[in-house]
Amino acid sequence: MTLEQVGILLAWGTLVGLDLVTMPQAMIARPLVAGAVAGALLGDLETGLRLGVIFELFQYDILPMGAVRYPEYGPATVAAVGAAHTAAGALGIGLGVVVGLVTGLLGGISIHLMRRLNARAVRRSAPALERGDVGVLVRLHVMSILRDAARAAVVTWAGLVLAVGGHDLLIGALAVRGALVVAVVVTGAAVAAGTVGTLRLVGRGPDLRWFAAGLLGGAAGVWLR
Amino acid sequence: MAAVKPPLARSLLRLFTVQGSWNYERMLGIGFGVAEEPLLRGLSPEANGEAYRAAVARGAHFFNAHPYLCGLAVGAAARAEHDGAPPEQVERLRTALSGPLGSLGDRLVWAGWLPFNSGLALAGIALGLGWSAIIGFLVLYNVGHVTLRWWALRAGWNYGLRVADALRQPFLRRAGALLAPAMAVVTGAALPLAVGYLGDPFPSWARVLFVGAAGIGALLLLWRRLGLTGLRLGLGFAAIGLVLAVAWR
Repeated sequence: MTLEQVGILLAWGTLVGLDLVTMPQAMIARPLVAGAVAGALLGDLETGLRLGVIFELFQYDILPMGAVRYPEYGPATVAAVGAAHTAAGALGIGLGVVVGLVTGLLGGISIHLMRRLNARAVRRSAPALERGDVGVLVRLHVMSILRDAARAAVVTWAGLVLAVGGHDLLIGALAVRGALVVAVVVTGAAVAAGTVGTLRLVGRGPDLRWFAAGLLGGAAGVWLR
Repeated sequence: MAAVKPPLARSLLRLFTVQGSWNYERMLGIGFGVAEEPLLRGLSPEANGEAYRAAVARGAHFFNAHPYLCGLAVGAAARAEHDGAPPEQVERLRTALSGPLGSLGDRLVWAGWLPFNSGLALAGIALGLGWSAIIGFLVLYNVGHVTLRWWALRAGWNYGLRVADALRQPFLRRAGALLAPAMAVVTGAALPLAVGYLGDPFPSWARVLFVGAAGIGALLLLWRRLGLTGLRLGLGFAAIGLVLAVAWR
């Protein structure tokens, strides 16, 4: 990756990280979108789409209900595409998924820490907030948004560092066959996470029959292709 | 659609950032207060009057709900302030709306509209639609997203303290009833298509390993006593894969 490409991915990862929770939740943070755009920015749409699909399946394992803690797969997918772009074929996909999963974990931790920082800022401003001071209220909100932008940038940057480090570590250490094994098992894990996450969403009620009907239709589609 | 009232439009814009200051202390409270503030400006004839500041302070208290439906509570609370409702009643209104708006939004959006659109996009990519699937996802999803946010804010403002009537509107029940099976069919169809798409470039021996890994992974995730998540499974499989790969040089 060139320095220019790193800069572009960093900017895109920051936007993606902001979209997840803070603003505007237009779903550019979904791995499908984050991955496809990252791939296009690197001139490698196919890798972006493939990693987008893999992380979208991992995302199905998460329901962002209430105040649950979860991994952040948006910037993770951007870093994953950056990693995959540094190595061709199966090694790229395997390396990308490993880098993405670690980055997703870091992203989740960073969101938790940021929320604690936000809480501390709110506690500090509590007297002014109780007086109805609009200036303090708006400043608190804007500072939190900027804090999230910085957090997203740091997470994306960490992911891209992992991408470069992982590339240096694994290229030459793995044979093509071995690289394929890594790519295959992590892709299998994504399918497992996607399937179980979807089943959890559908539940055991009447919608399970609709799910089964869809499954049959999709299987027929694969067979007809 | 009626002409957009400037304070409502400003409030709607701010609602897009309502989770910007999410924290463990007041959750959505600060974002709620920021979004409600433009609607409170007419409360006192003089700028920054007592009633206005008291209402702004109340607006920033603890609140949690689904972000897309938060506007319903913002609009209703602001309208209640304009209607001269006692402060305790405004606080009770916010508390009463928190749970229902959270569960309704989770059901309609996180467990319905979002996976439905994501499933369509996954299927589209697997069928070779590429960019069209991504753009279609963003456009379709956000038409529903923005419409819901706008409806919620307007309904909250129009109904005020009677906001429970807005939540009883038949289209919300119908949307819930339609979205659940539609999401189930679409995600059901998307899964095998995604498996086919992802497995396509692998040689035949690797496809067997791929299906095996997916099957074992699903069983491990279903076995709840392990407390596994998709992330942990992925990291675990990656570690096993790397060990195998290094050993198989």
